[in-house]
Amino acid sequence: MSRLNFMLLMAVLASALYLVSVQYESRRLFADIDKALNEERRLEAERERLLVERRAQARPFRVEQLAKERLHMRPASPAITVYVSEPGAEGAR
Amino acid sequence: MSRSILYTSSPLLASRTPVWRSKFIVAALALAFLGLGARATYIQVVSNDFFQRQGQVRFARTLEMPASRGRVLDRNGLILASSVQALSIWAIPEDVERDPPRLQELARLLEMPLSELNKKLEDEDKTFVWLKRQVDEPVAKQIESLKLKGIHQRKEYKRQYPEGEAAAHVVGFTNVEDKGQEGVELAFDKTLAGKPGSRRVIKDRLGSVVESVGETVPPVDGQDLQLSIDSKVQFFAYQKLREAVRVNKAMSGSIVVLDIQSGEVLALANYPSYEPGKRKHLSGAQLRNRALTDTFEPGSTMKPFIAALALEKGLVRPDTQIQTAPGSLTISGSTISDAHPQGLLTVNEIIQKSSNVGTVKLAMQIQPREMWEMYSLVGFGQKPQLPFPGAVSGRLRPHKSWRPIEQATMSYGYGLSASLFQLAQAYSVFARDGQLVPVTLLKAESPVGGMRVLQARHAQSVRNMLHLAAGPGGTAPKAQTMGYSVGGKTGTAHKQEGRGYASKKYRGFFVGLAPVEQPRIVVAVMIDEPTAGRYYGGDVAAPVFSETVQQSLRLLGIQPDMAVKPQIVARSVEESF
Repeated sequence: MSRLNFMLLMAVLASALYLVSVQYESRRLFADIDKALNEERRLEAERERLLVERRAQARPFRVEQLAKERLHMRPASPAITVYVSEPGAEGAR
Repeated sequence: MSRSILYTSSPLLASRTPVWRSKFIVAALALAFLGLGARATYIQVVSNDFFQRQGQVRFARTLEMPASRGRVLDRNGLILASSVQALSIWAIPEDVERDPPRLQELARLLEMPLSELNKKLEDEDKTFVWLKRQVDEPVAKQIESLKLKGIHQRKEYKRQYPEGEAAAHVVGFTNVEDKGQEGVELAFDKTLAGKPGSRRVIKDRLGSVVESVGETVPPVDGQDLQLSIDSKVQFFAYQKLREAVRVNKAMSGSIVVLDIQSGEVLALANYPSYEPGKRKHLSGAQLRNRALTDTFEPGSTMKPFIAALALEKGLVRPDTQIQTAPGSLTISGSTISDAHPQGLLTVNEIIQKSSNVGTVKLAMQIQPREMWEMYSLVGFGQKPQLPFPGAVSGRLRPHKSWRPIEQATMSYGYGLSASLFQLAQAYSVFARDGQLVPVTLLKAESPVGGMRVLQARHAQSVRNMLHLAAGPGGTAPKAQTMGYSVGGKTGTAHKQEGRGYASKKYRGFFVGLAPVEQPRIVVAVMIDEPTAGRYYGGDVAAPVFSETVQQSLRLLGIQPDMAVKPQIVARSVEESF
């Protein structure tokens, strides 16, 4: 009888220690998830920032200036445009 | 048996201490246990809440989960406004170490004089002082590398406006707390604003989150808003407007571009404008969204409505002749005159030459009620259906109080007032074969139905008159474009000052549509107080109209409806022999 009790006591102790270690592990993993989520948020914000920056670099004012000054381009006008109508639209006109 | 010891009677074991001592020990121990029990009950039962709270304060934290504000996009999905993370610098004054060279460096990075920084740090009672909100990331990194004690950073959102001043009046801006203050940012603040969430977590000794407890309220990000604005059309319109205001040394200018098929506002710009991101030295003049908030007397641009009404009532036909000689007309003691007296004019020519006398003669055949109804139907005296802050209704008095002279002056646009935007919308009646288009600032998917005001053939007749007005012999030949037929009406109005009219202050404007046969856009331009010599709408506003139409129709991919002499060098011609 006392032998059984002893074994149960050991089992309880082992399970208790195991519980502690699992708890520890779960907290560690949770902290990792949290860090990863924070990183995700940071990268998301970074992406947004870069998108805005790209857009700011491509604003029409800047593009036009560069096209005019650096590439010596001029705006298209109907005089230098060939208009091609779609074959399907021809019948409808 | 003889070896057994009788403990009870053995003299050796007989205690010399009194019995009460052992009883005392037992009692003391019992009391001690009782004390423990009582304390345990006190902690666990009586003031359990207090201790729970104390424990939580030490390891549980409520973290705010920030929600980002929605973006404002143009019709093609290009960003007009977006929130990006920025860092704000704050300090605990009593913790800050007084280290002059490093504080000097900090002041330089914060772009403020050292004295101002010291003043902010002076008040040692405070535990929290903002040093600067929303600094750029590289600057924040440099500040961090200074490693000054008591200087902290906090993440915040900063609104960025990549389109800058060109779209400033439409988009508006937010304040430092991310709340809309002007324009679309204010009008659609509820849609754009996010709702921050929160969660309760347990943190360990190192400050990392190890467990989340209780309920998590997820953050709700603000919704993106897609406007009807085309940022390229907007930019061109703004650029041409700015040039015109500068060349004519004018006070200000406004321009509106409407897509009349869908009622979408393609562009709405004012000059002077401002950078929404840099609002330090902002004046009221820069902030005003004049196209919607400023009203003026529309002048000659009202004449086509009278012609349309006269056609609609069957009083005249486009080629009916009306005598406008000798170029002046007296109604109840007041004289109305033309700038250039004309003789016999057809209705077409009255609009083409912008004859006041001819228009008044038409208007005098119309009942005041009918005229008032026409003006009201096309939106005068009513607020445009735009959810925009500060949009005004203009002034149109009820017809019952009109005196004959007032009806006469109102027929050529004096005695009532409207905003440029109202004028642009009203012209959609001519552009859409008699239907008034409902306007929207948000992207619409498909063409919309309008409210019928005129019969289609009459709207077409007026369109033809507008075409003549913008042609040779009209008031605004400068409105013409290459490849696209245009029609429109100029207006030049004396500015009101106090009770009367200012003698040398004018407003020149032009409202028109293009292409004439199948209109796609209505463009309205207003130049306020041009002082460089010329002030007629046909001289100051029509060129802006022309350039804007040219660019807008090209950007919309609309084929020219007029023959254009091609300038394309065709090499193959030489080789065709």
